[in-house]
Amino acid sequence: MLTAYNLKHINYQYFTFTVQHSTLIKSLNHIIVLGGCSLKKLITMKKIIISSVLAVVAIYNSIYIESLDDLKQKKDSNFDFAKYSQDLYQQILAKSQAVELSQLLSSFAENDHANIAKYGNRLGIGSSAYYLVKCQAKILEVQGDRLKVLAAGNRLLDIDTKFIFGNAIRDASGLVKLTDFKTTAEFNKISESLNTIIREKAIPEELKTVKAGDTIDIVGAVKLGEKQHDLLNLSVLPIKISKI
Amino acid sequence: MKKYILITASLILGVFLVSACSKSQSNEKKKVAVVISTLNNPWFVILAESAAENARKLGYEAKIFDSQNSPAVESDNFENLISSEFDAILFNPTDADGSVSNVLRAKAAGIPVFCMDREINNDDAATSQILSDNYSGCVEVGIEFVKALKEKGTYVEILGLVGDNNTWARSKGFHSVVDKFSNLKMVAQQSGDFDRNKAMEVLETIMQAHPNIDAVFCGNDAMALGAYQALQAAGKANVKVFGFDGASEVIEKIKEGKIVATGMQYPKIMAKTAAQYADEYLKGKRDFPQRVPVEVELVNTANAKNYK
Repeated sequence: MLTAYNLKHINYQYFTFTVQHSTLIKSLNHIIVLGGCSLKKLITMKKIIISSVLAVVAIYNSIYIESLDDLKQKKDSNFDFAKYSQDLYQQILAKSQAVELSQLLSSFAENDHANIAKYGNRLGIGSSAYYLVKCQAKILEVQGDRLKVLAAGNRLLDIDTKFIFGNAIRDASGLVKLTDFKTTAEFNKISESLNTIIREKAIPEELKTVKAGDTIDIVGAVKLGEKQHDLLNLSVLPIKISKI
Repeated sequence: MKKYILITASLILGVFLVSACSKSQSNEKKKVAVVISTLNNPWFVILAESAAENARKLGYEAKIFDSQNSPAVESDNFENLISSEFDAILFNPTDADGSVSNVLRAKAAGIPVFCMDREINNDDAATSQILSDNYSGCVEVGIEFVKALKEKGTYVEILGLVGDNNTWARSKGFHSVVDKFSNLKMVAQQSGDFDRNKAMEVLETIMQAHPNIDAVFCGNDAMALGAYQALQAAGKANVKVFGFDGASEVIEKIKEGKIVATGMQYPKIMAKTAAQYADEYLKGKRDFPQRVPVEVELVNTANAKNYK
């Protein structure tokens, strides 16, 4: 049967092929006439073969085989992660639900678990949570992609403007739920998009306007463990830096 | 009279037998199946044994099924445990897509399935999925990697099983960081199937074409140990190795400065949570979160002393 098919293209990865149906039926006609059977038998045989061919064609047309990579790409492209993340970034800035850093650290120092839980966001099981914080601070030093700043209470902060990666900002915002997305991969893509906006656009622009000695307002995300011992040397992932 | 006594005695005996029978039925322990992708890896042995132990502590009979990293064996395991009328399944899938049909079969049979560690690509099949936050963990490993290599060099990535979502979550987390540094070049990316020996062989072959690599990132600790072995044999102790899992052998190597970092996963917590969820389900609870991420912690030379 396969000889009657005109196989245009076979690829083990994509599994696509095209059948020229008319060629197949013509070939079958030749086979039947050359067989030398009685006319009645020939008609019955022809009917069976044509029905079989039609069934094969119907099945072939109702099944579409596509590579998983292509399918995954199509699924992903249905959702505009960049736009979603841009809106999320604006929402984070507009809502300004960030807690004052000094207030959060006092809660840790006093083991005020109720407030620690209120300020933080943890998606699943673990000993750490993410916090959206804000503070005013003086820039002591600009070290390449880091700012050393001094916040209220002589607290030294490390503002890491280079390694803005991971889920810290998304989760600290508390604005995105795991159930909003069908897969963990999609959920993580939000972080990648959001981080790109902050790391590659927002922060570099804001850094151009500040220098050592300036006083700035910072909104950022911090990860703190339940038993966070070192509250003096904290690293903050910045979301917004603005000169006062 | 004799007839009445006989009838009364028969009735009493009947009531006694029925009550004894129902008592024995209520005393019969419910059964929990622990279906594990492979028991050929110590990490999964811990996951399996912890799940079974927690189920037993909660009063269930528990049995471990080994899928030997084969979806076909996994399918047979499901067939067996469905026909054996298990009451719940604590499940570590072999394949994110391929395992969905097994979970759906169990669901159709009224058996709840709680995925542990590995995600399936369906958010309506399993009752709940308790998963390591592989992506976040590997973002932290990626940052450590960039810092350790001072933002430049060539490296090899050894992936886990290509059909497993964890493989890609780890790889994506790692690359979400490392790919932003243009002086870090990946010269080869190959699967080591999460297997120590295979990773060793894969790296040996890669090093024939790329003898001057600076680092190797492995999708799990078993492969990191295999890569370390291959590097030792080739006299390349200066190549930096990074893993993922938190295996005690790797923690020791981090303390000795032989491996740079790993992501600490918590299989015992995942197993305990899955067993607890199954218990709650069998006691009537129906509202479970579909996915529960479990935190992964970065272990490096600075904090390795806090881990075993």
